[in-house]
Amino acid sequence: MAIAITIPRLGWNMDEGVFVGWLKHDGDPIRAGDPLFSLEGEKATQDVESIDAGILKIPPTAPRAGETVAVGAVVGYLLQSAEDVPEPPANPATPEKASPIRENGPAPTPAIRNDHPIPIANSPRISPLARRIAKQLGVDWSRLRGSGSSGRIRKVDILAASQSGTGESPPYRAVPLSPIRRTIASRMIESHLSAAPVTLTTTVDATNLVNLRQQFRATDADGREVPSYTDFVVKLCSFALKEYPALNSRWGETEIRIYEAIHIGIAVDTDSGLLVPVIRDAADLSLRQTAARSRDLIARARAHTLRPSEMRDGTFTVTNLGAFGIEAFTPILNAPECAILGMGRIQRQPVMLGDQVVARERMSLSLTFDHRLVDGAPAARFLQRLGQLIENPGPWFMA
Amino acid sequence: MATATQATELGRDRLLALYRRMQVIRRCEEHLARAHQRGLIHGACHTYVGQEAIATGICAHLTAEDVVFSTHRGHGHALAKGVSPASLAAELFGRSTGCSRGRGGSMHLFAPEVGMMGTSGIVGPCILQAAGAGYSFMLRETDNVAIAFFGDGAVNNGAFHEGLNMASIWKLPVLFVCENNEFATEVPFRYAAGNPSVATRAASYGLPGYEVDGNDILAVSEVAAEAVARARNGEGATLIECKTYRTRPHAEGMGDYSYRTREDVDLWKTRCPIIRLRTHLVEEEFADAEALQSIDDEVESEILDALRHAEESPWPDGSTASNHIFAVSSAFPPRSPIRNDSPGPGGREITFMKATLEALSEEMEANPGIFVMGEGIGQRGGNFASTLGLFEKYGPLRLRDTPICERGFVGLAGGAAMTGTRPVVDFMFADFVLDSVGEILNQIAKIQYMSSGRLTMPVLLRGCIGIGHSAATHHSGNYYPMYGHFPGLRVVVPSSAYDAKGLLKHALNCGDPVLFLEHREVLSIKGPVPEDEYEIEFGRAAIVREGIDVTVVALALMVHHVMKASDLLEREGISVELIDPRTVAPLDFETILTSVRKTGRLLIVDEAFAPFGLGAEIAARMADEGFDDLDAPIRRLNGVHTPTPYSPPLEKAVVPNPETIAHAIRALIQE
Repeated sequence: MAIAITIPRLGWNMDEGVFVGWLKHDGDPIRAGDPLFSLEGEKATQDVESIDAGILKIPPTAPRAGETVAVGAVVGYLLQSAEDVPEPPANPATPEKASPIRENGPAPTPAIRNDHPIPIANSPRISPLARRIAKQLGVDWSRLRGSGSSGRIRKVDILAASQSGTGESPPYRAVPLSPIRRTIASRMIESHLSAAPVTLTTTVDATNLVNLRQQFRATDADGREVPSYTDFVVKLCSFALKEYPALNSRWGETEIRIYEAIHIGIAVDTDSGLLVPVIRDAADLSLRQTAARSRDLIARARAHTLRPSEMRDGTFTVTNLGAFGIEAFTPILNAPECAILGMGRIQRQPVMLGDQVVARERMSLSLTFDHRLVDGAPAARFLQRLGQLIENPGPWFMA
Repeated sequence: MATATQATELGRDRLLALYRRMQVIRRCEEHLARAHQRGLIHGACHTYVGQEAIATGICAHLTAEDVVFSTHRGHGHALAKGVSPASLAAELFGRSTGCSRGRGGSMHLFAPEVGMMGTSGIVGPCILQAAGAGYSFMLRETDNVAIAFFGDGAVNNGAFHEGLNMASIWKLPVLFVCENNEFATEVPFRYAAGNPSVATRAASYGLPGYEVDGNDILAVSEVAAEAVARARNGEGATLIECKTYRTRPHAEGMGDYSYRTREDVDLWKTRCPIIRLRTHLVEEEFADAEALQSIDDEVESEILDALRHAEESPWPDGSTASNHIFAVSSAFPPRSPIRNDSPGPGGREITFMKATLEALSEEMEANPGIFVMGEGIGQRGGNFASTLGLFEKYGPLRLRDTPICERGFVGLAGGAAMTGTRPVVDFMFADFVLDSVGEILNQIAKIQYMSSGRLTMPVLLRGCIGIGHSAATHHSGNYYPMYGHFPGLRVVVPSSAYDAKGLLKHALNCGDPVLFLEHREVLSIKGPVPEDEYEIEFGRAAIVREGIDVTVVALALMVHHVMKASDLLEREGISVELIDPRTVAPLDFETILTSVRKTGRLLIVDEAFAPFGLGAEIAARMADEGFDDLDAPIRRLNGVHTPTPYSPPLEKAVVPNPETIAHAIRALIQE
């Protein structure tokens, strides 16, 4: 009896993913626990491990790298002996209720090809004719924007998309929405539509922080990693959040969930978009541990090898655009978290100290918080406290 | 009992034949009643027990070419007219050997080959159909007669009034035979009739009327002989009231003593027409008891054989259930070349109405069986000049002005079509014909089917439809979606002179009933019509305008409105393809589908109401068969779902016009 290999659901909302590639070859013996293939889900790329053992059979209908595959689709088989491969069903059909649980025997759902996207709840509307032509021309309409008065994709849209791939070049470069991009978009919109965000901005004197970090640089010249400003601020945030737990919370629809554990997400810019890996129990980590952890998370975020679990359960987020010269900005809440801190660039500025003009390192802080969870005054007090910690950071790292 | 002299004149053999015929009816009915109890009869069974003398006495004077139209209580008429007990029983048993091939049952017995033109589940139409058959005989100059058998229940129905009046004014060779058995179903005639004498009503129509003892076959036969002779001699119709009684319930299985008494029934059993003739035959020594007994035994054995044959007969094949809705087209070849295309450029231009007049005149010239009926279509030439000049050409018999009795002359037309002529009913406005819709839908549309294709129904029903010129709500209806709903009708709605002529000529050569509906607002629109004769087949849409962006389907006046809108839109860069189906039934869906495959967009512009209409039908089929060709939702633009108002601004508001059509097309293009 051949065991069907199906596309699992990564995370709660995944309906389809992008098949990244096989990690084994056709005919390889597979042991339970062996990684079989890589799959890009909503947030990350994951290696899917085999639960069962057998000889891997990759049928000709198996998805190719880069193809969109539906959750539940059968992509291959584990043969238990020199048995025949079950015939794949003649008609590629929309999978039944997607299930990550693999079934025994031939499942009715081969891989869904790019030119045959399955309709999903929030997929764009398309006319039946456009759908048919898209199939004929091999146009993936799932990422198109329709020109119909209600946004419906029409024949002209498919023809334009098709031509842009072959003939005349359009006046833009069409970039398909990846699952990650779509998740970001829906999260941003969700945050924007549901929360009641308010942003507080302040400027603090970071001269001591700059000096402190300078000491690490000098000390770690032998090659040890120097903690980044973000690492410092994550740690300082964890101290401040301890004092102001109301900010270390999440919106729970019918309740506000205030957490004891402090899990701080860090916004990471990757080539496929924004990811927010979470530094768990940031309060319990030393600065160096924090730095090591964040370095690892950032590297793997950029390599798309984060596990979904590493991006869940954040209670607070830090985002740093200072490296791009941004002074201040309006961070968007990472729903359902209560608050997010935006770090601006650290700038050497003239400041009056008594009667003297002196040069000081100034940094802007932007705190966006969800007014549904906390009021302005406590949020302001938290920000003020954080500013104090940044202005005199040294003692906090002596423990 | 009538006099012995009369009996002698009838002769011994004929008397015994009458006896035998009545006994066949009686024994057959009794065995059918038993079969009903055994569950062999699947529907209703109305027996003729007690009334045998009437059918037998009347039909004794008929030939196979004479015709009988009957009622729900028609077994006796069928048997008397020559239908075999076996094919009657088989029909009631639902078998393929039944006289209607299993399509009718007790109330729809058809055997045109012996002149049994049908029994009917509706009270009244047989009177009109018999008048129509009489009209056919008159036009064909035969000496045949038509008989309408009906009960006392029919004489208070409008068909009686309209039918007898028309038979009178046109001197039709018809016998109207009322079997007054005292109850219309279970309503007593003495209660239901202001004038309890049926026979005297004849005077109201200028007809001779006779009352006769319907249980005395000699009396019935005597009156029938005289009336049939009058009819054959061209002296016109007769009304005969036969007083009788049915001694079984209205229908088998129904209770009998809630509306009449056992005593009454028992009393009438003593007046049994068969016993009376039997007694007479013995007393007058025409036959002895032994001879009559041997007739009885023969009849009994014949009926038992018939029922056995019926019970052993095969069932009809379910796959044939929808056969015979229309005539076999090969039996009605076109008289002129078929030209389903559009007229070429150049040539003469005439109006829509002139084109139909030409068509009618050409066909009347070629076919002497065509006659026209309507109000003011004779010397006057029709309200819309639809028959102008024809009266002079073809005379009053073929251009027949009618009283204002739409039900009457439409019903009459059905009977005429069943008996070899081709009536054209010109009802001026389609609204008027609603009073005759029962005749159209229950009779004309169904008779080809009920007779399993042995009768054809070449009736042309023409009249004006459409909103305009403040005609208000009794002169503005469209109605074609309604007719398109029913099987058995061809529904033609032309928009141009060319189409009108070709389709009318085709209608006058096909074997089916055709509703030819002419939009009043297009009658005077001129268009190219070639001099040569031609026909356009039904179910062949015209591509009035070719385009690529959107398919618009429209009929009649809306075709012209869509053309105007399309001219406007062309300047905006929108290319409209306009399809005119020309016939609603059959509907050429294929041409519409082919167009939508090109354009991806479909708008149906229809002056008629939207609910359950032409657009709904086309849209449903398109969603089914053309789903993958649609680049936008299917849209309809209809007349407002309201009675038609009179005042110009109100009237204007309920009909699509070129501006609203252009707007709808633009919106659909944006979708």
